[in-house]
Amino acid sequence: MSMTPRERVLAAINHEQPDRVPVFFGVSNATAIKEGPYLALKELLGLPPGMRYLHDWPELGSSLMEEELLLRLHSDARGVFDRHPAAVYERNQKREPHTPFVDSWGSGQVEITPGVWFPGLHPLADATTIEEVDAYPGWPDMSDPTRIAHVKEEAARLAAENQFAIVGTPWLMFPFERAFAMQGMDKFLMNMATDQDFAEHLLRKIAAYCKDLTGRFLEAMGENIDILWIGDDLGTQTSLLISPRMYRRILKPIHADFIAHIKERTSAKVLFHTDGDVLPLIDDFIEIGVDILNPIQTSAGRMSDLENLKARFGKNIVFCGGIDTHRILPNGSPDEVQAEVRRVMQALGPDGGLIIASVHTIMNEVPAENILAMADAVVEYGAYPLKV
Amino acid sequence: MAAERDQRQAEILDKIYENILDGNNQPIPDLTRQALELGVDPMALLFEAMIPALEEVGRLFEMGEYFVPEMLISARAMQAGMDILRPLLAETGAKPIGTFVMGTVRGDIHDIGKNLCNVMLEGAGFHVIDLGVNVPPEDFVQAIRDHQPDAVGMSAFLTTTMPMIGITIEAIAAAGLRDQVKILVGGAPVNQEYCDVVKADGYAPEATSTVRLTKKLLGLS
Repeated sequence: MSMTPRERVLAAINHEQPDRVPVFFGVSNATAIKEGPYLALKELLGLPPGMRYLHDWPELGSSLMEEELLLRLHSDARGVFDRHPAAVYERNQKREPHTPFVDSWGSGQVEITPGVWFPGLHPLADATTIEEVDAYPGWPDMSDPTRIAHVKEEAARLAAENQFAIVGTPWLMFPFERAFAMQGMDKFLMNMATDQDFAEHLLRKIAAYCKDLTGRFLEAMGENIDILWIGDDLGTQTSLLISPRMYRRILKPIHADFIAHIKERTSAKVLFHTDGDVLPLIDDFIEIGVDILNPIQTSAGRMSDLENLKARFGKNIVFCGGIDTHRILPNGSPDEVQAEVRRVMQALGPDGGLIIASVHTIMNEVPAENILAMADAVVEYGAYPLKV
Repeated sequence: MAAERDQRQAEILDKIYENILDGNNQPIPDLTRQALELGVDPMALLFEAMIPALEEVGRLFEMGEYFVPEMLISARAMQAGMDILRPLLAETGAKPIGTFVMGTVRGDIHDIGKNLCNVMLEGAGFHVIDLGVNVPPEDFVQAIRDHQPDAVGMSAFLTTTMPMIGITIEAIAAAGLRDQVKILVGGAPVNQEYCDVVKADGYAPEATSTVRLTKKLLGLS
């Protein structure tokens, strides 16, 4: 029985067995392809050069994938994104070349080598009091209509086609990550350890803006959304960034409140992106209403034990991701990529509950052939019942 | 009287140890000055209070009791004491056990792990020269010429910048300096396999293992 891509995704995220394992490309920055490999892939496929940037944001450097590519890579979903406010684009377009890109929160990215931008401007770097946080003049205006003016129509168009699952991905609705952007990672982590009231206040302030924008975004999407993409990076290569205790005390209530806010407004599934080894927190995520866990960073500590993940959590959470971007995609051969896709599908795929995706943005050193190998392996070996 | 002074010295060393372990940086400068006024030898302060505290922090991190925030505040507290001790240690003529040049490679501005390594290394008695972030290969080469270090550490946080580790090591080799130094590598995407490929001398998965690895490579342990 053949399914449409949307039916395939809906089955998988409802823990039912689809016709084959679904695969995501280009529905978020984490599933996107950077400019270099994107253009290389187009060339390999004999397509004309040229591309648009995700969120129309050159400094992010990720491609807004074209329909032709999404079809060729068998992507079963389409993304709907928000935009920076028009005034932010305008201001940044007029700025001196190579000077920092400053976003609507006042945090910014600096160019560390030509064409490579990283968070380096932290407007609340020196703030240590609640008063300083509240007095900050640069908090964003989420009511700016240019952020989401296009969203309603795009979602309606995709829903009318009724071919692909619809993933709503407003940019960085990640309170913890945003606190790093506002303060710098080391400063905020130290504040978390030394002044819980301050850290909590900053996170709640940020979360209120995330809730505001997400509410507006969901209203524009209406019923035309299957998955909403949020998250917060909590893991490292070997463990967690903060202790489970600190997560439960400070951050978990904020995530829980954010997810409750979302679930009051939509029946879409909540996908939570969190890098690294987050094994000790997966039960917490399930408890607060996370439906889909991304990206299953197989290179990080205990996340490598896929059988354990499936056995312990597979009934209660859907896995999205799993294809390693540290070693396999950049350094493996197409055959090794194929073998890895098969391995991940066999471990996490039985009875549904799996969407294949790259663990992180496909970076510049990934050969185009490996991207094709990843996509094609899903189609070739992902049909249910899965062959061992 | 002497016994009483010994006891007061011991008490203050305990307080310094506890405050570093708990990550309280504010009392550390005063406690450090008080200890010195009581006649505590700067070396004793370092080796009997500060370093043991940081070693305990490292142990708790490896045990999974401490995480990055706790490490950061302990390192900050240690630094607050080191700022006072450093000139005094230089005056006493105490020789560092080695010189370490550290940097995040070109194209990368991540420095939390690197900075933790620096504190650990300094605490362990190394003279650390931190080249900062986004360090081009030629600056590593120049720093080796200028400072004649025993070891060089380089870190990269991203898969995209990790190849710069290999390029930097090649530049050091091309300058004829490779045999003078031990090279340690680290950072999120780095692993032993990559360490072997680029012919580095050692890979430290965590800041806490950097000191152990460096001492081992230099035959100091």
